[in-house]
Amino acid sequence: MSTSSDVISPSGSAAADRGSGNKSFLFLIVGLVLIALSAIGLFTGSETDPARPFVGWILGISFWLSILIGMLFLTMIWWMFDAGWSVIIRRQLEHAVGAFPYLALIFLPLVLLSVLSGDKTGIPWIWMNSDAIVPGGHGTVAHDVLYQSKAGYLGQGFFIVRYVLYFGVWTTLALLFRRWSFNMDRTGDHSNVHRSRKLAAAGLFLCAFATTFAAIDWFKSLNYHWFSTMYGVWFFAACMRAGLSATVLTLFYMAGREDGLKGIIKPAHFYLMGCIMLAFTVFWAYISFSQYFLIYNANIPEETFWYNMRELNADGSKNSWWWVSMGLIFLHFFVPFLYLLWYRNKFAARLRFIAIWILTFHLLDLYWNIVPQKLAEDSHGHYMIRPFGISWVDVTMFLGVGAIVIWSFLKSAARERPIPIRDPRIEESINCHE
Amino acid sequence: MSKPYGYLALFESAPAVYHAARSVREAGFKKWDVFTPFPIHGMDGAMGLHRSKVPAFTLIGGIIGFATGMLTAWYMGQFDYPLIVGGKPFFSPIFPFPVAYELTILLAAFGTIGGMFITNRLPMHYHPVMNYDKFRHLTDDKFAVVIESGDELFSEAATREFLESLHPAEIAVINDEEEE
Repeated sequence: MSTSSDVISPSGSAAADRGSGNKSFLFLIVGLVLIALSAIGLFTGSETDPARPFVGWILGISFWLSILIGMLFLTMIWWMFDAGWSVIIRRQLEHAVGAFPYLALIFLPLVLLSVLSGDKTGIPWIWMNSDAIVPGGHGTVAHDVLYQSKAGYLGQGFFIVRYVLYFGVWTTLALLFRRWSFNMDRTGDHSNVHRSRKLAAAGLFLCAFATTFAAIDWFKSLNYHWFSTMYGVWFFAACMRAGLSATVLTLFYMAGREDGLKGIIKPAHFYLMGCIMLAFTVFWAYISFSQYFLIYNANIPEETFWYNMRELNADGSKNSWWWVSMGLIFLHFFVPFLYLLWYRNKFAARLRFIAIWILTFHLLDLYWNIVPQKLAEDSHGHYMIRPFGISWVDVTMFLGVGAIVIWSFLKSAARERPIPIRDPRIEESINCHE
Repeated sequence: MSKPYGYLALFESAPAVYHAARSVREAGFKKWDVFTPFPIHGMDGAMGLHRSKVPAFTLIGGIIGFATGMLTAWYMGQFDYPLIVGGKPFFSPIFPFPVAYELTILLAAFGTIGGMFITNRLPMHYHPVMNYDKFRHLTDDKFAVVIESGDELFSEAATREFLESLHPAEIAVINDEEEE
């Protein structure tokens, strides 16, 4: 491989005078204000359902975190396969994944609050509270056989260590890929490519472990009685769908910017993104259905209760989650699947429409996976299931974390070039065709 | 001598045949084809070809496969041999899903292969262009445009003149031996 393959003159788009600093600063302010508002909700709690604001905080972060995890996976997959067509898209992902450290900071209050607070009624991870009454069971968490068996993993100290490990893995990978790619812009040194490919090979494993166990810790342990070996894969599939859709929207935004991808990005790039979106729509459905299918066939109460909660109340009547479940099957799978089968729907405004659609239902998927919990009403086994609903903390966190992620993207996009001009495959990517 | 199958214009490079194909399309010919040793990107657009109809065969195959799987399980469980297994109902769309799903993939694949054979009119063991003495070069290092005599715009003198204007390496008359 030669060391000089400059297709575009580096002076062509001077990085110094790329200014959108003021606009991105506005996003930072808005984000901080909204997160501060959410914090008020987190500390004042809610009377009828003390843990609901905390759940809203988890939801808000999870949506944006899943997008970034998907993008990080996509970056590594493209490095692994030495993909040529995607090089100009990869740079947008590199801008985006710079937000991992900020998400780690936004997640930190949840960890501190749940471990340090004396009164744990507002913490949805009820296994942290040994005095909590087990919903639908007998006695407290400390006397619960299932908790005692899982206590080796579900311990508070280990929980903090794992939080540090997950964000450590994501942040380190993201920052290294960014640094090496930006370094190649300046020096044209192709050893950055070899380094990145080697890191991607190891990083895929590390990221897969971090993502799987993060989903187990933060979402699955909300109902710690449950068993499922497919949960981590579900989260991976959801992350990929969210990441791909967000990437498409980012491409549309950058395609409209003079100092972005205007005149560089081609319909073929969008078409190929649409193809991967179709593939991961099928993959998500395959995983989500398989999890249901295995539990349905085995028919063991320790597993089926998790799906029953999302269908029926304690007295056997249909609850609000039944409609959400049907919505996910038909609107999160069948509609995008059939839509993306058509060639013409993988271009321009039609692709943008389905990207927004998938992101909307991805959020609903997160609600469906995170929000339903059995809330103990007394110590005699009576409980209610937290209904579907949007609390104001959900909204402020969703918008607040989103503003921070967008601020981080714009900051990076203003400082670095819109395409990796000295990547050895840049010519292949610019001339991408079907 | 009977009417020839058509005129062949031979080209030395992919760009040359690409530009020739555009000119032939713009001249309004309908019954013509391009012969190349490898796929040339953008040739479909240059020739003005529509998108392949194979995906429709794939979709139909997939739908038939899914319906077959579900109907088989429904008929067997509900009527042919009702049997309670693991406390499950005689029929539900959940448990036979893997069967229906695998049949969807199988018949979608059959549909794709069948659709490819039908739209390409395969198997085709003989084609008049095989009579061309440099036919082997068309699978190696040369490119050709063939305008068939069945085309409405075809006339022996004018079509030859038109092909000359594309600056080919040579022009040959292709005869269909089977009709002789």
